[in-house]
Amino acid sequence: MTNEQIGTLFQLMLQYAVPTMKIFALTLLWSIPLGMIVALLKMCRFKPISWITNIYILIMRGTPLLLQLIVAQYSVPYIIRSDICPEFIRSALGGIDIRSEAYTFNMMLIAFVLNYAAYFAEIFRGGIESIPKGQYEAAGALGFTRSQTFFRVILPQVVKRVVPASSNEIITLVKDTSLASAIPYMEIMYIAKKQVPTYASLLPLFMAGAFYFAFAMVLTVLFSFIEKKLDYYR
Amino acid sequence: MKNSIKTRILSGIAAAALLLTCAGCGSAPAATTTAASAAPAANDDSLEKVMSAKKLVLGLDASFPPMGFTNESNEIVGFDIDMAQEVCDRLGIELVKQPINWDNKEEDLNLGKIDCIWNGMSINAARAEAMNLSDPYMQNEMIFVVPGNSDIKQIEDLSGKTVGVQTGSTAQEILEAWELYPNVTVTALEDNVTLLNQMELGFSDAVFLDSVVAHYFITSNNKDYYVLPGNLDAEEYAIGFRKADQALRDKVQETLKAMKADGKLAEISTKWFGSDVTTIK
Amino acid sequence: MAMLEVSRLSKSFGELTVLKDINFTVDKGEVVAVIGPSGSGKSTLLRCVNQLERANGGRITVCGSDMMTTNEKGKAVFADTDTLRSIRLKTGLVFQNFNLFPHMTVLRNITEAPTVVLGMSKTDARAKALELLKKMGLEAKADSYPCELSGGQQQRVSIARALALDPEILFFDEPTSALDPELTGEILKVIKELANDGMTMVIVTHEMAFAHDVADRVVFMEDGYIVDEGTPDKLFGEEASERVKQFLSRFNNFGA
Repeated sequence: MTNEQIGTLFQLMLQYAVPTMKIFALTLLWSIPLGMIVALLKMCRFKPISWITNIYILIMRGTPLLLQLIVAQYSVPYIIRSDICPEFIRSALGGIDIRSEAYTFNMMLIAFVLNYAAYFAEIFRGGIESIPKGQYEAAGALGFTRSQTFFRVILPQVVKRVVPASSNEIITLVKDTSLASAIPYMEIMYIAKKQVPTYASLLPLFMAGAFYFAFAMVLTVLFSFIEKKLDYYR
Repeated sequence: MKNSIKTRILSGIAAAALLLTCAGCGSAPAATTTAASAAPAANDDSLEKVMSAKKLVLGLDASFPPMGFTNESNEIVGFDIDMAQEVCDRLGIELVKQPINWDNKEEDLNLGKIDCIWNGMSINAARAEAMNLSDPYMQNEMIFVVPGNSDIKQIEDLSGKTVGVQTGSTAQEILEAWELYPNVTVTALEDNVTLLNQMELGFSDAVFLDSVVAHYFITSNNKDYYVLPGNLDAEEYAIGFRKADQALRDKVQETLKAMKADGKLAEISTKWFGSDVTTIK
Repeated sequence: MAMLEVSRLSKSFGELTVLKDINFTVDKGEVVAVIGPSGSGKSTLLRCVNQLERANGGRITVCGSDMMTTNEKGKAVFADTDTLRSIRLKTGLVFQNFNLFPHMTVLRNITEAPTVVLGMSKTDARAKALELLKKMGLEAKADSYPCELSGGQQQRVSIARALALDPEILFFDEPTSALDPELTGEILKVIKELANDGMTMVIVTHEMAFAHDVADRVVFMEDGYIVDEGTPDKLFGEEASERVKQFLSRFNNFGA
């Protein structure tokens, strides 16, 4: 490959790094709060809610994300065509244009968010359960309400405890975004795969690899900085 | 190019997983949704639909040079694309090139995400069953390629050697039916380009692949490859439509015939292959 | 005036009954020490009065408001949430393990409840916290985190934290048990000062000399019952019941 070709390729790859970061950022934006809600639902004392949450987490963690992405893509047309689908659902889904880019992207994002929320939920639950009972008692004795106790006393301590495990998950997400190429959604991995036959060279894949590495590296540095920042107490 | 066994399995799994995800709906999606098996209906509005939407959505894998692939500027180009573009121009509609996951192509077609599959797709029994295929528009031979400096000079020399082939492809089926198949070691990989790269690096002694792909690579990348004389089998490329979309299929077929007659098809073929290789009558 | 009245209180965890027919009153300004062997129910009594556990029967009245009563069917009836909260603000509790909030500075540990729960202004809460810290001899530690303090210092912060809400009555659950022996003195000194200021206090403790010294009244519990009670001179003297003498004989300095 000539230098000029490499330059062209690099620019193209850089351009499609943007959709990759878009998946990454939007997945985090939705899955972290959702994961918190799921963690609380799982700890719900009303057992049926806890069981349903458990089943959801089991499915999300027990099946490949790739499969979930594909199922999400085909869910709407399948539900519409299903004989037992109630009419109101059919008419509600009927307006969705499965050929549109928005549909492809949104269904993909839903799959990413649901999957990552399940993992975050387990991390958050572990964090919440690791807070000593005495913290709740001290807050209660001081007259804090349940929500004041959670948001002022428990949550800040949970944050510190879940940062290491979450950063691991977040760095995994960087690489998992490449599964979007199977939909296919045009992000950096998709472009790399399609450029391989064009140049009859594996260089596009190496470039993609370098991008993921750099992205993960930045996050690693960022998280070690955050961990240091949170190290002001034990 | 590739067969549909994987797709069958995949759609089965997808349907099962869907069962779990849409538990709210109560039970499994009806089996009738999987294949558009209905006979061409009298009220076939497939052509009107495309004409009134003013677009034909063409599904392709976009990594199959020279038929349909992605160029340096990330545009989808190729012989199939030029051909489809000309058809759409003549019909006065827009051509939409929709990249798909090749493994799920039947789903995408039947669920209406795309209007046709037009991507150097070889005819086989399973595809003829699942889709409404056009007449074959081009012949393709399956050939062996070896490095230019290889000792292997003819097909018989391959005995005891390692041969690379694309997984899930018709090439793989043909190779398995070959009489020397028990004597060779087969390495199967996802795409032909990686296979050729691996051959250069010494992972295999030869690659078994579509002649159009091989010739395009050798000429466009100045590769020092040698094509063994002779071939195992010839296959044919066709365009796939939904079973019910008879009117659309016929219209496209008719337009292709007109293009053959007025020489446009020969012009496109010459651009990509150096001569008119099309078989449309 | 009675700050705390407990009558016929019972509490069980499943099969295990830990409090049986407890009758117990604390008057304003009084300092009551609760002593007794481990597992006698002392801490549970404190936890029931502070709403950390829910008693199964009896009646608890704090500063004139009923926290819980028992209906004619023998079922415990608790006051509504607002009443429970207002009662909670009249009582302060100091834990054996301090239970300071590790992510907050010493100052914020003290100001958090007044600002959040009472709606006090940040400036007022801060001024009050600094005053309390000064009283505890810890004004230099205002911006430290709990993990930077010794156990005795942490316990003094937790006392300041409880005092910041101006409780009518302050409870101590074995305040020196988690401390090294050389650090217990500083806590006992603080409690003694509070007693001199007229603070109403109930102290569960194993420090017999201290109980004798600071308490107006000593309550001896065993197996969920209040076995004996009276002035320190009575309980630590010849008039005490045999059971109390037997218990005290295990503490060298009070060997009969």
